[in-house]
Amino acid sequence: MTTTSGTAEQVRATTPLVGRPDVNRKRMARLGWTFSAPALIVVAAVTIFPIVYSVILSLNNVTDTGNGVQLHGFTGNNYSVVFQNSTWHYALGFTIIYTFITVAVELVIGTLIALVLQRLTAGRGWMMALLLLPWSMITVINAELWLYIYNGVYGVADAILGAVGLGTPNILGTNTPAIIALMIADIWKTTPFVAIIVLAGLVMLPGDIYEAAEVDGSSGWSTFWRITVPLLRPTLSLAVLFRVLQAFGLFDLPYVMTNGGPGTATTSLAILGYKALFQNLDFGTGSAVATTTALLVLLGCLVSLRAFKVQVGKEGT
Amino acid sequence: MNRNRTGWHKVINGVNISGLFVVLFIVLPLYWLIITSFRNPSNLGSVQYWPNPWSGDNYAQAFKEYDFGSYFIHSVIVTLSATALVLIFGTMAGYALGRLPMRGKFTLMVTLLMISLFPEIAVIAPLYTLEKDLGWLDSYQGLIIPYTAFFLPFAIWILRNYMLGIPKEMEETSRIDGAGPIRTVWSIILPMALPGVFTAAIFTFTACWTEFLMALTFDINLKMIPVGIATFGTPNEVPFGTIFAASVVAVFPIGILVFIFRKFVISGLTSGAVKG
Repeated sequence: MTTTSGTAEQVRATTPLVGRPDVNRKRMARLGWTFSAPALIVVAAVTIFPIVYSVILSLNNVTDTGNGVQLHGFTGNNYSVVFQNSTWHYALGFTIIYTFITVAVELVIGTLIALVLQRLTAGRGWMMALLLLPWSMITVINAELWLYIYNGVYGVADAILGAVGLGTPNILGTNTPAIIALMIADIWKTTPFVAIIVLAGLVMLPGDIYEAAEVDGSSGWSTFWRITVPLLRPTLSLAVLFRVLQAFGLFDLPYVMTNGGPGTATTSLAILGYKALFQNLDFGTGSAVATTTALLVLLGCLVSLRAFKVQVGKEGT
Repeated sequence: MNRNRTGWHKVINGVNISGLFVVLFIVLPLYWLIITSFRNPSNLGSVQYWPNPWSGDNYAQAFKEYDFGSYFIHSVIVTLSATALVLIFGTMAGYALGRLPMRGKFTLMVTLLMISLFPEIAVIAPLYTLEKDLGWLDSYQGLIIPYTAFFLPFAIWILRNYMLGIPKEMEETSRIDGAGPIRTVWSIILPMALPGVFTAAIFTFTACWTEFLMALTFDINLKMIPVGIATFGTPNEVPFGTIFAASVVAVFPIGILVFIFRKFVISGLTSGAVKG
């Protein structure tokens, strides 16, 4: 595996051309920090500092005076309000289930698309370009588009459902259909991304293994499960990890399409936090929701720390 | 796969038919977006599979009745500024983290990778109060700075991976020739890392152009495109024709950019750097 000392030795081995190696190395390290400083300062100021401040807000009695927030001493109250709130329980469950189902479906459809594209004899470049369109789409526009498709009066979804004899349900006005409708919109936008990642993984797989499998008389199905899937696992797990963490922040789609409704049916953790912060102006509770969401993501990151480390180390040295 | 396919089997086979389904899966919603934008705004209350008659009224409305022109300009200013800052800081940091012997850079890379995946909701409240104190709400810098910070980690990630691939001899030769570190980076490393810079630019541009939550929170009166589109119309009446006309205009630049430079985008997505 890669370690920083590996890098150091390499540098030491190759730098004696100029000056004394260790002096040079120190100078180079200082140069490195100087070069990284602007980026690190900006990132810390806008991400790490606010996260810490958010934790402080969530642990205080906060009032919004209109001229800014005022802190009135330590309290664990915000968290107990949040933990006892049934909407938070629902939002937590909804976000987890939503993430699980959409990522699972994306993975299956994405892999299928990648397998099809891998076998295409012509036009693969065009297909890749096509796949990038949903990926680069503004999520708000995606939301408006599906809002129109699902419209109860003139939406094409009801027209199609009616034509095949499934009636014309009020899709976004009913709990379960609204959730499924959101998932479909999400899956349309993010599946191509998974497909691209999986295809890249497929292309890099060694061809001779497949020849050997064919010689051994392995069928397509068992070749897929016994050879392709295990070899693809690093690629797949990374795509899944990143998609899961991203889906957990679900905000744009429900904000535009359902505003968390009907009732609270599509209220994700981010929607709940946003409403507490900017509609009820309750910075204490809002920060508690935001902080717990962040902690869950952090937990997810730490659980998958190995995957991250492998990712960083892969091209290290 | 080794069987010889002849005649119609060459054209009509499982793979091509599945490919057709993939195309339909992606294209149909986009088709719906585009044809609706060209329908007559007064009779959108029915399902039509082809505009009859074609009309450019929605496009005219987006710019005349709504202020889509200014939203577009706001987005261009914020996106270009943030992308420029990200590239400057990101190239320097990417060079340092990729090629210089810094202690603890492994931990730093892991941390940056995690930060790039953190949900925005976690930082919205404190940043909002901070920007309020600074008087930065509804300003350009009120979005440019957060965007720069939020999209830097991923750009550093891409750039570092490209920097790692440049042969060490290049900068040694330059150092022996007596060039200082800044000149070495500028005239030797940067030209070789250009594809990486390009890839980082496209990713940052796309991220800024499509971001919604921060634009909604910090700049509700200085609207970016996504916020503008989300707030078209009234609660009782959503002018979908106008929304879609604006959407086509908004998606066009990104679509073209991504299409022309698809090789860079795909290499960025698959260089181990994965983000949706």
